[in-house]
Amino acid sequence: MKRHSTPLVALALFAAAILPLAQGCKKKPPTTTAEARPPVEQPAPETRVPPPATGAPREPVETEVLATDISELNKKGYLKDAFYDYDQSDLRDDARTALASNAEWLKRYPSIQVLIEGHCDERGTSAYNLALGDRRANAARDYLDSLGVAASRVRTVSYGKERPFCTESTEDCWQQNRRGHFVITAK
Amino acid sequence: MRRFLVRRFVAAAPLAVATFLFAQTGQTPPNQDLWISINKPTARKLAIAVPEITTAGTLRSSVSDPFTGTLRSDLEYSGAFVIADPAHYPTGYRDPTAQDAADRWRGGGAEVLVDTRADVSGDRVSVEARVWDLVSRKMIMGKRYAGGVSYVERIAHTLANDIVKYFTGKDGLFLSSVAFVSDRDGSKDIYAMDFDGRNVRRLTSVRSLAMSPAAGHSAKIAYTSYARLYPQLWVMSTDGSDKHEVATGIELNASPTFSPDDTQIAFAGSAKGNADIYVVSAGGGGLRRLTTTRAIEASPAWSPTGRQILYTSDQSGNPQIYVVDPEGTGARRVTFAGNWNDEASWSPDGARIAFACRNEGDFNICLMDLATGQTVQLTSEGSNGHPTWSPDGQKIVYSSRRGGRSNIYTMDINGQNKRQLTESGNNIQPAWLP
Repeated sequence: MKRHSTPLVALALFAAAILPLAQGCKKKPPTTTAEARPPVEQPAPETRVPPPATGAPREPVETEVLATDISELNKKGYLKDAFYDYDQSDLRDDARTALASNAEWLKRYPSIQVLIEGHCDERGTSAYNLALGDRRANAARDYLDSLGVAASRVRTVSYGKERPFCTESTEDCWQQNRRGHFVITAK
Repeated sequence: MRRFLVRRFVAAAPLAVATFLFAQTGQTPPNQDLWISINKPTARKLAIAVPEITTAGTLRSSVSDPFTGTLRSDLEYSGAFVIADPAHYPTGYRDPTAQDAADRWRGGGAEVLVDTRADVSGDRVSVEARVWDLVSRKMIMGKRYAGGVSYVERIAHTLANDIVKYFTGKDGLFLSSVAFVSDRDGSKDIYAMDFDGRNVRRLTSVRSLAMSPAAGHSAKIAYTSYARLYPQLWVMSTDGSDKHEVATGIELNASPTFSPDDTQIAFAGSAKGNADIYVVSAGGGGLRRLTTTRAIEASPAWSPTGRQILYTSDQSGNPQIYVVDPEGTGARRVTFAGNWNDEASWSPDGARIAFACRNEGDFNICLMDLATGQTVQLTSEGSNGHPTWSPDGQKIVYSSRRGGRSNIYTMDINGQNKRQLTESGNNIQPAWLP
């Protein structure tokens, strides 16, 4: 087997890993740093990629993930956000699917720690939405815990409706804002 | 009636106001006909003539215009006065002890005359003010103020405060400020401005998120800051100095409110995703939990007596306003109409509450008389929220979102006299500072 250290192979592996994600997500990828999220479109990931290496798409190996800078890691979308219904913190089926995927990934990289940001749409008051965002983030953390991801690896913070991903007053936009957003904070 | 010299020094402002009392003053105006109740929204307003300030020499318009303009604007804003039309003011006749002079002013519709004279010396100005009852032709207030010419508006505000105090018995608002949250410089931070929207100053530079400023009673503001990533409880002075965290030991620390003596802070706290109302000592420590439901509790507001705390709970299925005592007992529901009532605020006399109310559609500002439960809706335009009371209980400051932009407004407690105070960025969560 060839070594994985050549840039070309690493890029191919990365592309193989993110292609399914890119297809399933037509929205902009959420930005990731915790302290400053400018409300601007992020550049789309590079689309002109070399063909995948022979065989099935492969997950990046642990050493590569852990060698990646955290801010870069957060741009790769390994962790999926959980989305919620209006004024609810119950986990929908799609949220459970996303969280199960996250749990699998987090179990593969047990040193990684994450922050779940609870977000809400613009409807309702600020204070109430802070509490609701807190509840959403905690619901996601509890589910990860039930799937075997230690709660000590997962912190939560609520931003309520104060840091929306999308600022239009449409249901599509509101749905984007009702989420538990995952941020990798340590590896 | 004896005259005496009173000197007041306004701290933190480079203006020393020397007040000379020409005439008898007191809490109770001598002429009961001139006593104004602004508690009654329909009360008749007193017609007051405010002619241009005069001077023996030449008065720069940069001094006279802001002085007279500010004085008229303040008196009108108080809700107690209507400014008699300046077009009908007689020229001269500033001493209405003579029947003829008084009649000329009354012919223009005025019942009270405010005669002001300036003496400018270098960059200092001294203003002498005489307030005349045109019916009795007696001077009912006489004062002298002095300061730098650049603070001429502040002198006008001080005189307006004194006039309002004389006629209504309540402290005027014209040197008060409003704290609020704005994104005008990018991130949401806390700002303050004068009661009329002027003189905006930035109080926090968290550059992440600072929100929910709450006024204390001793020049303090409690707020929620994300300066250290997580929403923590912080306190600062009203000028933005002396910022410090109040440690609570729990995760979410939102929507703080001071006890009347500023020794305790109630807030919405959360441990493991269940927001409840907590109280912590303003110095940190002594945490206690007042509510124990599995519902969301938030937005506490401490009563002026200190014996009750309003808060919002969705335990009934939608957010409604409740009240509990500071020991966490005696909780009961206060609002029943509509499907979302939130962000309650006590009137300074404790008799009424203002809150954000919604049935269908947008939020409005509602006012409830606690004794009768009678509720009136004061707004009908935009999506409105976060009402707090002026220190005199005559005004409400609130935020209103219209056309995608949030701004701070004030209105009288009968819903009249709405004024927009902010224009730049989005502006929310106002708190009237005493």
